[in-house]
Amino acid sequence: MPVQSLQNTDVIVPQHAPHPLLPFLQSQSQTTLTRLYQRPSSCLSIFRLLGPIERQLIMNLLWLESALSVATMSAWVLPEGKNAYDSALTVMTGLHIAPNSTVKLALNPTFKSSLRQAITGGGNTGSFGVPTDKDGKRQSANIENLDAYALERWETILHYMVSSGQGQNPTKPSQGVLYLLQRSGLMNNAHGAALQITSSGFQFLLHSPHDQLWNLLLQYLHMAEERQMDLVEVLSFLFMLSTMDLGREYSTEPLSETQKAMLEDLRDYGLVWQRKTSSKRFSPTRLATTLTSSSPPLPSSHSTGGSRTADGTGAVALSSGAAQQGFIVLETNYRIYAYTDNPLQTAVLNLFITMKYRFPNLVVGMLTRESVRKALGNGISADQIISYLTTHAHPQMRKNNPLLPVTVQDQIRLWELERNRLKSAEGYLYKDFASQADYEYVLAYAKQLDVVLWENAAKRCFFGTLEGHANVRGFIERRTGSV
Amino acid sequence: MEKASHLSVIVDLSPTQWHLSAQTSNQYPLSIETFLSQLLAFLNAHIASKHENSLVVFGALPGKSVLLYSSTELLSDDAPSLDANSYLPFKLVDSTVVQRIMNEFDAIGELEEEPPCALVGAVTKALCYINRITHPSSTMPGVAEDPSIVHDPRILILSVSPDLSSSYIPIMNAIFSAQKLKVTIDVCKVYGPDTVFLQQAAHLTNGSYIYLERRDALLQYLIMSFLSPTSIRKILAVPKQDKIDFRAACFCHKNIVDIGFVCSVCLSSTHYLYCFVTKF
Amino acid sequence: MRAIKGVLLTCDSAVKQILLTMNEKDPFVIEDLDDYHLVIKADEEYRVRRELEAELEKNTYSLETN
Repeated sequence: MPVQSLQNTDVIVPQHAPHPLLPFLQSQSQTTLTRLYQRPSSCLSIFRLLGPIERQLIMNLLWLESALSVATMSAWVLPEGKNAYDSALTVMTGLHIAPNSTVKLALNPTFKSSLRQAITGGGNTGSFGVPTDKDGKRQSANIENLDAYALERWETILHYMVSSGQGQNPTKPSQGVLYLLQRSGLMNNAHGAALQITSSGFQFLLHSPHDQLWNLLLQYLHMAEERQMDLVEVLSFLFMLSTMDLGREYSTEPLSETQKAMLEDLRDYGLVWQRKTSSKRFSPTRLATTLTSSSPPLPSSHSTGGSRTADGTGAVALSSGAAQQGFIVLETNYRIYAYTDNPLQTAVLNLFITMKYRFPNLVVGMLTRESVRKALGNGISADQIISYLTTHAHPQMRKNNPLLPVTVQDQIRLWELERNRLKSAEGYLYKDFASQADYEYVLAYAKQLDVVLWENAAKRCFFGTLEGHANVRGFIERRTGSV
Repeated sequence: MEKASHLSVIVDLSPTQWHLSAQTSNQYPLSIETFLSQLLAFLNAHIASKHENSLVVFGALPGKSVLLYSSTELLSDDAPSLDANSYLPFKLVDSTVVQRIMNEFDAIGELEEEPPCALVGAVTKALCYINRITHPSSTMPGVAEDPSIVHDPRILILSVSPDLSSSYIPIMNAIFSAQKLKVTIDVCKVYGPDTVFLQQAAHLTNGSYIYLERRDALLQYLIMSFLSPTSIRKILAVPKQDKIDFRAACFCHKNIVDIGFVCSVCLSSTHYLYCFVTKF
Repeated sequence: MRAIKGVLLTCDSAVKQILLTMNEKDPFVIEDLDDYHLVIKADEEYRVRRELEAELEKNTYSLETN
């Protein structure tokens, strides 16, 4: 088997990947989705989750009174964009935003009127959350407290996952969270007693906070279906949270029973803050308000510089000071210097690095063959390690082009390839055919079924998959029976 | 996720021209109130598209240009009240823009002779703004792949005034800066005759120039032609004008000329184009 | 004509030779197909992988740095 050549892989900016929530929405029925579209905040949030072409198409159709013919719209599409256009239309019909038709293009009327209301303001659904007046007696939470709360909740969950098998005793998150982690396959109690992190759990840890959050929320939505919670209420509450203003308090009065029950779960995940369980007000945290955006949902968690501007609106966050700061320096001698004191980040680094020294603000380690192989054995891929290092690279590293030393990147991938030298497949070896014609006949049939893994005409034998064996054997028996 | 995009909108607020536009003698009279309501819907649509999209609105008034709204800085102290039926950022844009325009109109008062609209001043300010946000200073702590750093700045000019020949040189300079900054300039001619310079601006920066014929369909025109970022324009084409008027203005009298004389010594410096040659 | 149940192994030539050497001590190969493929007994796969890994580990050296 020829050795694969390694290209110099810099981190390439990915094409627009569809949001993970979309397949879930597409699996819902049309009535469910139409009920969801009655609320302007849901329409706005879903609009933001879509890709750029879908958004432009929706906007083009939004203010038209009558339907547009398909031919007219496709006349605007440039030839090289045809595929992207078609897949955008598929997404829209899958979400029942635009009914499937080859003649006319129009928006679902509920979606259209709700989105218009969202943009111009209006209607009386109260779907953006009813704000409460400032409570003179008690102090409401300010943005810093909310951020600290969200960070603490979120890191508790992650920290529990990381240190589950390593003898430490971190704070346990609430029972609901533990159940969610188990259901989503990120942890399991394989040995009976305590929960242990699984290989998908390891991969989860290296994802960005956005992906992690949506991963958990998707699990929550699946569980909600089983718990007989009204999915539309759950989804509309989440979407409403994403349009709320950071730092304001909202009333729980207009929420339905399901939504009030959700408040407790959302508190555990750090999406919502309430003074106490019975409080009539709640405040969304930054984790909630950035659900449909790609702004950083958590403030930078170390004290090294970082001009955090507490932006008043919170919604339009152009302040780059609130972004996650990189803190990892990777050298060509495989040494890593991580300027952090955060135990969670140290624990995550420990997954694939051999630690050498710890200082109050610095952790020093090395990428060794053993440490990387241990991570690979836990299910983490080389690409994930490399992208984690790239995402959290210290600003000093930006002077390098490419960001991470090529030697180190290549070596991590080589260590991954080392584990894959042997590939196996179960199946059946068919040999000793009576004649060449016999062999070719059976081989052609097997190829039609697409079950051939290896063949050799000179030796007159081939290897077929396990699943295909029954069919091939049946075919041969029919042939020998009829001959 | 794809990158955020930035839109700078420059609104031509010449009172005379808007007054003329609202006259019922026009085929499609468009008053400034109607115009503003449709423009606000368009601005909201831009912010709705992506959480990180940034927006700045400049107004070109007689003799001066003002910043009406900026999404990076909170300008007005009285924030609008929160209500359950509208999304706060939309409300913020709408109320700030309208409030400030009304303030400016009140401040103009009665003028004997209206000085020309400072459209070029507004374009220059927009370019400076874009320069500031696309190149954050290196003293700020660096960030990895910050999604709020814009990659696709655009300027949209909504013009109602005719060409001003004295602004030829400043506009050409602005166009060259825009080319350097990779800014796309789009132009929508809402009222008034075709403007040669703005046509060239749109053409040279790969933007689109629309002469609004159906003024009652302003919002639809704005959305279909100017909402999409440059990367989407490669897939969904936007209408452009093919016939560009490439005439220039001479440097001595600022007349627009078809044929002129070029200084043989300094072809590429400022003393460049004359309508007749002076013997020195 | 015969159909034999087994596991198809795809690898590079070096690994294949190592496997053949291991085979001499403890047979598990049903058929040697070509330079890159082997068919082995189905239940032996796990053991073979473990032994191969142990064998390849012998070829790697790492510097003991402080």
